[in-house]
Amino acid sequence: MSTVRVKIDHFFEQLASFLYDYKYIVILFMFAAAGLLASQLPNIKIDTSTEGFLHENDPILIDYEAFRDQFGREEIAIVALKSSNIFNKKFLNDLKSLHNDLKENLPYLDDITSLINARNTHGKKDELIVEDLFENFPESKTAMSEKEKRARNNELYKNLLLSEDGLYTAIVIKTRTYSSKDEDVNDDLTDFMTSEGDDFLTDEKSVREDTKDKKKLSNQGYLTDQENSEFVKALEIIVDRHRIPLVEMYIAGTPVITDFLKRSMVKDMRKFMLIAFITIAILLFIMFRRISGVILPLLIVILSLLSTISLMAMSGVPIKTPTQILPSFLLSVAVGASVHVLVIFFQHFDKNRSKKDAIVFALGHSGLPILMTSLTTSGGLLSFSTAAVAPIADLGIFASVGVLLSFIFTIIFLPAFLAIIPLKAKSKTISLKGKTKGKNAAIMDKILNFAVHISTTRPVQVLALFFIIMLIAISSIHKIRISHDPVRWLPDAPGGIRMVNEKIDRVFKGTTSLEVIVDTGKQNGLYDTEFLNKLENASNYFEQYKDDKCFVGKAFSITSVVKETNQALHENNSQFYSIPQNRELIAQELFLFENSGTDDLEDFTDSQFSKARFTIKMPFVDAIAYSGFIKMTEGYFKEKFPLSDIQLTGMIAMLARVLENALYSMLQSYLYAFIVITILMILLIGKLKMGILSMIPNIYPIVIMLGIMGWFDFPMDLFTMMVASIAVGLAVDDTIHFMHNFRKYFEKYNSAQKAVHETLHTTGRAMLVTTCVLSTGFFTFMFSSMNNLFNFGFLIGITLIMALLADYFIAPALMVLVNKKKNYR
Amino acid sequence: MKKISLILCLTGVGIGFLFFCVCSCFADDLQARKIMEKVEDRDNGDNMTSDMLMVLIDKNGKKRKKEFKNFSKDFGKDEKRIMFVEKPADIYNTGFLTFDYDDPKKDDDQWLFLPALGKTKRIASQDKSSSFMGSDLNYSDMTQKDTNDYNYELLKEITINGQKVWLIKSLPKTREIADETGYKQSIIAVRQDNFMVIKAKMFINDSSDIKYMSVKKIKKIDGIWVALENHIIKKEGKRVIHQTLLQQTNVKFNKNLNVNLFTIRQLEKGL
Repeated sequence: MSTVRVKIDHFFEQLASFLYDYKYIVILFMFAAAGLLASQLPNIKIDTSTEGFLHENDPILIDYEAFRDQFGREEIAIVALKSSNIFNKKFLNDLKSLHNDLKENLPYLDDITSLINARNTHGKKDELIVEDLFENFPESKTAMSEKEKRARNNELYKNLLLSEDGLYTAIVIKTRTYSSKDEDVNDDLTDFMTSEGDDFLTDEKSVREDTKDKKKLSNQGYLTDQENSEFVKALEIIVDRHRIPLVEMYIAGTPVITDFLKRSMVKDMRKFMLIAFITIAILLFIMFRRISGVILPLLIVILSLLSTISLMAMSGVPIKTPTQILPSFLLSVAVGASVHVLVIFFQHFDKNRSKKDAIVFALGHSGLPILMTSLTTSGGLLSFSTAAVAPIADLGIFASVGVLLSFIFTIIFLPAFLAIIPLKAKSKTISLKGKTKGKNAAIMDKILNFAVHISTTRPVQVLALFFIIMLIAISSIHKIRISHDPVRWLPDAPGGIRMVNEKIDRVFKGTTSLEVIVDTGKQNGLYDTEFLNKLENASNYFEQYKDDKCFVGKAFSITSVVKETNQALHENNSQFYSIPQNRELIAQELFLFENSGTDDLEDFTDSQFSKARFTIKMPFVDAIAYSGFIKMTEGYFKEKFPLSDIQLTGMIAMLARVLENALYSMLQSYLYAFIVITILMILLIGKLKMGILSMIPNIYPIVIMLGIMGWFDFPMDLFTMMVASIAVGLAVDDTIHFMHNFRKYFEKYNSAQKAVHETLHTTGRAMLVTTCVLSTGFFTFMFSSMNNLFNFGFLIGITLIMALLADYFIAPALMVLVNKKKNYR
Repeated sequence: MKKISLILCLTGVGIGFLFFCVCSCFADDLQARKIMEKVEDRDNGDNMTSDMLMVLIDKNGKKRKKEFKNFSKDFGKDEKRIMFVEKPADIYNTGFLTFDYDDPKKDDDQWLFLPALGKTKRIASQDKSSSFMGSDLNYSDMTQKDTNDYNYELLKEITINGQKVWLIKSLPKTREIADETGYKQSIIAVRQDNFMVIKAKMFINDSSDIKYMSVKKIKKIDGIWVALENHIIKKEGKRVIHQTLLQQTNVKFNKNLNVNLFTIRQLEKGL
């Protein structure tokens, strides 16, 4: 093993010497490579949608897309208006002008519904009236109050257009399903006009192929994030134009939340990078007291970051909510490698004044350890690469690529650059070895001495104490609350987006939904009385549903259309607000409805009347609460409709799926990270037992972190679940340095106590600096406007500090104990 | 001072008005208008009977067929139509009786008979832009238009399938007219020999959806040109979202249909 190590050290020395000699070519080449990559940067996309959390081939996402192809985008934007007097001409006029403005000026609009154009089907003697509710305003007061009564009694309006308390009315806006990118309405005029007639697609196969082809040709997928943002922006502008004095107006819904997430993400990313940058620059300056010591590492991390993001852009992977941590993460993680090289370089350079010798020495000395730490860090990150949550897998892949890239930039670019820039050796250096003792250094020494003293003289007590703390932590791990609740990620500022959405969600008894598709598998299957009766029973059953975490605000399907038409055909007699028990009548009523001037039927069934869409409207709660409900719902429908195919989809199913995937991925990634890092440690140390033992100070901070999560009620969500694997990959770096040096000094002095002392006074300081850089980098996330990022930053920062303490106390105590035994033997 | 500002004001209004006139004159073009008048005044026959097959094709290529029997007769300048469903069986004999008045101020009258309900209902629907029997055509597509409601522009002359046509852009003059027909703009191909519209591209209001209509088969029956096959494709962007195929067979004119055919009693009696 050690001969291998010598060979590797030698390789790095030779590499350094080569790089020194060909410095200009190397730099030119590296800049060209980075520049080439960076040219891809403008192609980077952002995606904050819920769909973005799932892999393209996730069956739940495929179901959701099939649903969306059939029924359109179910995520709706809501403009809610509060008035104690909704059915008043003045208010309705204002509502109408807002409605019309939105209808005419919103981009990517598919459908807009409010009291103004709500379907109002009713009967009068032998007359059937199908009209928009407020196409015209009634002149007389009695006519108005009659309309009000009808609206308030309308089952379909309830909690969609009118809140149950009667104080709020909503404009419900559906955006287009597909992107209109590359769309040109005029290009095909001559084509169309002069075509011979094969532009008509009559058989199923050619329609499908045509659609597929077009998709490929124009790469036209679903409405893009960009288009969604344009839509939200226009929505806000138009609503602002129509602000009515004394009327509270709110904009809510998932399109708005998605847009907000995106905007704050872009803002946050800038903020994080800036803070990380400044912090790193300050720490580097304190450490090296040289401009080159600040500029060079920063240059390297920037190049690594640019290349990584460019790789993302090249492979078409958009930045999503979890991947937004990537830039500042890479900044703080990648800087470590160049710090290690520079420390050794400057020490040697100041002493011997030969640049080339110093470079060769530094790379020979630090090449292997930074290779190892880069490998362990990227190993920890790579454990996410198989995650079922798409952006976490992306993060795993690109962060680990980024770490490896920064390693390459460090060992190639840094020596070449050091060779080029003019440097002056300093006679008096503030080295890490701490020969010149400032005030800080004195305090530092005291702390280190204390650690050395305690851990070497009372190793058993130290370990016992840490063991007890660990037991306390373990005892609260079971309290960890698993969660996926994007609405609660939003900042809860008064009047802010979260409060608005929570309020509208409350007022309208839920603004998200679980969709059940009951597929009879046969044309006109929905004409069956028995089938419709069962759907109707399901509505009644689900509208009663309530458990301790969530409830159903509304459950509806095509039966509401049938009942409404049936009642209208029977002179509005409320007794006939029911499913007719006659197949022909159902068929004829649906035909009438289809022919009566609305395309609303498309929202409830397919063109074949073979599938029924059953919508269960629910409030936004933590996805964990949905899981049980989804299982129950599936069971219910499978039991009641044994002959039909049942499919559950919609936003709620998606949220629950993300959570389920996250949980599974979390356990998987913990396991992978643990195995990969243990193996690397064993390889590095070269001994099985020591390798496994060295994992104790790595596992310890994770256990404490989990304990803190349980104790202080930090939710285990998409973000906090990454803490353990990332932290273990970083914490292990310190342990590597500790073990590496301990072994060296132990072989030299043959005294564990002395070896610990030496190790902590040399590497111990570097460990402190890197921990400072890293934890500050992560604490930066606490400045985020998102609660989830706050938690993530805080927990990972704390974990890294715990890891340092473990390396200061547990690792030495363990080494003393183990090596004592060895000596006795 | 006041006087001057008043005059200035009036002059301003005057110039604005002139500008408006010039604009609208430019937007309309006489030649196109004459063509369109001929299109709308074309003899479309009287006492017509026909069988109609409607095939609806959804975005997945799934088909749904309906068959109707049609009768229409002119009553002075007004027209009466009666229509029965032949297939599918579940809606057999469901019928529509329509009185289409020449007077633009007078709304059409329509009655509906659902055999399973055994009752006739008058349908008070003011919305002509709504779908005709679930197809991609709407009621306004089925009726003649008042050329005074539109501005026309002759785009160019081209040849379609060996036939010379005019391409004419048609713009509704007011928002109300656009709302009523459902289109904010249309481009129409008119055959020069018989003034039949053989293709049209129609831009749907408040949407970027577009309908493409092509007449695939026309025939002169009893001296009257009839579109026997009509294809409509509705697209969202580049995606085909729905299609309709309309076929007319057994078209006959001048059978001198009995006036009693166009009554509620006949509607309830069925085929």
